[in-house]
Amino acid sequence: MDTPEPSGLKIPKLPDLKFPKLAVDRRKAFTAAGAAVAAIAVLLVGGMLAMSYNEAQQVAAFESHVAASEADLFLVYDKTSAHMRTPTNDLSVAECDAHMREFAAIARYGGDVTAYHRQIVAADAVPEAYAGAQSAYVRALDNLNRAFSLWLSASGAYDVRDYRAADRNIGEADSAWRAYAAAIADYDRELRAAEEGTEVPPA
Amino acid sequence: MEWKDVIPVLVGGLVILVVALVVKPALLGEPIGFGSRGTVPIGSPPVYVPPTPVPTPTPFPDDVEVSTRNFRWTAIDGGVQTTQVTVPEALFREHRETPRFSDYTSWGRYALADADRPVLVDLARRIAPPSASPDEGYFRLMNLVFFVQQIPYDMDDNATSYIEGVLPRHAMYKKDGVEYPKYPVETLVDGRGDCEDASILMAGLLDALGYDTVLLRYSDHMALGIRMNEFNPYYAKYTPRYFTHEGQHYYFIEGTDFYWSNVSVGSTSIRGRPFPIGDTGGTGIPSVRSETPEIVPLRYIPTPGEYRIQPARLPGGGA
Repeated sequence: MDTPEPSGLKIPKLPDLKFPKLAVDRRKAFTAAGAAVAAIAVLLVGGMLAMSYNEAQQVAAFESHVAASEADLFLVYDKTSAHMRTPTNDLSVAECDAHMREFAAIARYGGDVTAYHRQIVAADAVPEAYAGAQSAYVRALDNLNRAFSLWLSASGAYDVRDYRAADRNIGEADSAWRAYAAAIADYDRELRAAEEGTEVPPA
Repeated sequence: MEWKDVIPVLVGGLVILVVALVVKPALLGEPIGFGSRGTVPIGSPPVYVPPTPVPTPTPFPDDVEVSTRNFRWTAIDGGVQTTQVTVPEALFREHRETPRFSDYTSWGRYALADADRPVLVDLARRIAPPSASPDEGYFRLMNLVFFVQQIPYDMDDNATSYIEGVLPRHAMYKKDGVEYPKYPVETLVDGRGDCEDASILMAGLLDALGYDTVLLRYSDHMALGIRMNEFNPYYAKYTPRYFTHEGQHYYFIEGTDFYWSNVSVGSTSIRGRPFPIGDTGGTGIPSVRSETPEIVPLRYIPTPGEYRIQPARLPGGGA
């Protein structure tokens, strides 16, 4: 079936088509090619510079978050060590109970601090090389959080005079604390490897 | 194409980079640069909240209704003494209405009960008056020990062990009988008690004099351990028995009995001397002779072995 042609419009037949002749100016062609290369180079260099700047920014953010975490953890340690130095040999029952209430308050404080910094450090976008260090530090905070949580459980067991449960909780807290120390050692190894660009040495 | 045509291309590229990597993240609150993640809600860092202080309980007045008991006992010099003990009735009643801890690991709290302390301090000073002579320390100690050993023994499931003549409502019924660890003033008002009552009372009295003691828990008995650096008197015909707890030596003391004999054949009068410190052979209780007791400290404070923060090196060469 023939297709009706629009009135006044004539479609040329294919053999009638001819390529337009281009007058190539060599100078203009070089300029255009140069501009394209320059644009690509700007994008590449700019991208690399931005990437490098971005990685430095990420490491700086990670550093500041770890530094803030460490500063707060040492505030918790100040409270804890002062508490542990308190002589308990001659305490009355009321003083023992007050001592344990302070222990519970420190456990709550430590738990809050570790949960807070864990959230921040875990959300950091870090360069791939630092991912191991970040993961180890988050693991360290998780273990510390568990240790503080077990301290709180021990304090609760003390309140209901279940001293065996309190002892069990303290034993488990000590284990969690040792796991924290191991995770910090892992973090240190991972960090060294990231900064030196080497493989992570075995633990 | 002229050089003037190239400049907008370069500027456009830069603008795209700046908008993509800086402006957009800045507007959305994301980290500047590639691979930005969602934001973390960050509040203020947590702060230490000290525990709420508990108000000090009002001491029981001793000028109102009181329970009084006279103890007739023999001191280690052979002299017969009469010692009157006065306990606020309200304190005694409050103890009787207090539920007991079924787990003996917390029975040290009874010995150290703050409300009982004034009664115990007063009694300990009357039985073992302070002396300037250090040589008298041993005699003071043994007088206290002997005083408690002479309090009549009565089992928890005997109604005669209680001044009311009936078992207290918080007596704990167990498969091998009744258990009711008494506060020191309860033993004093009742005037009788069993092995844990005597041990708790003796621990409270000795603690009031500054001695460090523990409860010694056997399978069927309870006694006291007193911390001494070295106790090996030349006259002892036995090897003093001690148990080690946290590097300290706690010597065995029996609380419920003493060496006694009738003054003469057919006489109801008896004479006696205390079971000495460290003598486990004289009690006649097999578990005391054969077992190593569980040590129950009077003051229990759960103490973590690990609490040190490990300093972590900072990334990026930070200090």
